[in-house]
Amino acid sequence: MIAWYTSNAVVVQATMTTLLLALSIQLPLRMGVFSFAGVGCFGIGGYTAAILYTKFDVGTWPAVVLGTLLAGILCYLLGLVIHRLSGLYLGMATVAFTLIVAVVATNGGSLTGGASGIFGALGGINNLHVFLLLALVIAGLAISEYGRFGRKIDSVREDPELAAALGINVSRHRKLVFLASGLIGGLAGAVTTLLRSTITPAEINFHMVVMALTVIIIGGSSSWLGALIGAVIITWLPTLLSFVAEWESIIYGFIVALAAVFLPSGVLGLAKGLIHRWRSRRRSTPPAPPSSNVEKASDDEPSSPEPEHSLASTQGGTL
Amino acid sequence: MSRPQNESSGPRLIFEAADVAVHFGGVKAVDGLTFGLPEGKIIGILGPNGSGKSTLVGAITRHVPLTRGTLKFLGEDYASDHPHLVPHRGIARTFQTVRLLEERTVLENVLLGTDSLAAGGRTARKLAQERAEQAMVRTGCDHLAKVRPDELSYGNRRRVEIARAIAMEPKLLLLDEPTAGMGRAEKEEISALMSSLRAEGLTQLIVEHDVQMMVDTCDSLLAMNFGKLIVEGDPREVVRNPEVQAAYLGKQAMKHA
Repeated sequence: MIAWYTSNAVVVQATMTTLLLALSIQLPLRMGVFSFAGVGCFGIGGYTAAILYTKFDVGTWPAVVLGTLLAGILCYLLGLVIHRLSGLYLGMATVAFTLIVAVVATNGGSLTGGASGIFGALGGINNLHVFLLLALVIAGLAISEYGRFGRKIDSVREDPELAAALGINVSRHRKLVFLASGLIGGLAGAVTTLLRSTITPAEINFHMVVMALTVIIIGGSSSWLGALIGAVIITWLPTLLSFVAEWESIIYGFIVALAAVFLPSGVLGLAKGLIHRWRSRRRSTPPAPPSSNVEKASDDEPSSPEPEHSLASTQGGTL
Repeated sequence: MSRPQNESSGPRLIFEAADVAVHFGGVKAVDGLTFGLPEGKIIGILGPNGSGKSTLVGAITRHVPLTRGTLKFLGEDYASDHPHLVPHRGIARTFQTVRLLEERTVLENVLLGTDSLAAGGRTARKLAQERAEQAMVRTGCDHLAKVRPDELSYGNRRRVEIARAIAMEPKLLLLDEPTAGMGRAEKEEISALMSSLRAEGLTQLIVEHDVQMMVDTCDSLLAMNFGKLIVEGDPREVVRNPEVQAAYLGKQAMKHA
């Protein structure tokens, strides 16, 4: 086990940082907010931490905290402006935000290191630290998936009008998810940068949006567990596919396309669906309990309403 | 058209609408309605498809923006409230097409009704759970607690939605076609449930096409056509009204009647 870890420490590290980034995109998606601002926040968090660490002699952890907070605040402000947009328009606005971060980083002069970025920002962070931070983030997200918090988030995503009719403040949820997404994205950026000692504007780009989205599509968008599955697959796949040499990218693309077509709710969704089917089959096979009889009886009732028709027929007698 | 009376005898008005209008461009879906809902009564809205009934329900819950008019609940004007504040005032609704979270169990769907109205904390959550379970017993879907909505019949999906609204413990319950797609026996159960909720003092506004059920269940009826109120009053008298009959059956049928 230890031998395996030492030879794979870099990939394990990449899995964890990829997962953090993916979670910052997944959280808004779970609320039906099509935001990729998490990637821009990755840049803000990474650059802030690197600048503070290399140019202002700020310690590793204060730099991480400040980078995370700045990213969270900027993302929240972005959310205040654009949370009313929907679907594709919101997605485009957040991609634009991410690209703006890259442009600012490229043109930031000596502060951001221009197109070549910042080097030598090797902080005192190791894999255990990243693991603990990740566990903390996942614990928070897990809480948001269960109980009434989880139900509220589901209703905000599935049916905002219904959510409002049940007393849920939809726009507050949508605004706050920008804050949370920004914090997670900023943390991912700060940690990744101080771990690898470098950040460049080329990283904060559209390909990173695609990568984060791929993790979520393959793993599943409904839960942190889906992002974990996706992150493991995405980071380990190139290693496993290395034997196919130059065909790697093609096969990689092929797998992603197949997942998008045949696993619309990801590997996690597939697993959940199978478990659900198995459970409901188990429920319906044993000697029918009284409850399932009732259900069956009501199934026989007319199932499609034809208001106009039934009105005319019932009215004849009453009017 | 009668105006809401505040000072006269009878139960007080829990809800008052004055000159409420909802226009979509040139379409006057609701056009200058004035009426009140007496506390503890079941009031039905009757009208052909497209007469503005559901739009009116949407206007009452603030989902549909008003073109003009005022809405008062328990004497307070709430016409400028955001929709999510309306349930906190004590108004709950069901929808014409059942809206449930398909990925969640029936129990969780009913609990969703209590989620933002109940306070946090262990005791409050336990109470909310009890409320949800009780609501499911009352609507007859308690045996389906662990089932997901996509496995339910249409009638049972309606029951779940009504249970969710009841679990909100509202003071005014708006039911938009609560028995659509149900058989006669199920309709009678829902009607009995509404009567028992009335006995507890819950005011209910119901939109329904089944005239027989409306006459049997409601204390009074409002008949609408083309966004306007054409007549209101005792259910039996309202359905006998020639204007109502014309609106529903058309002039052709009137000749045969």
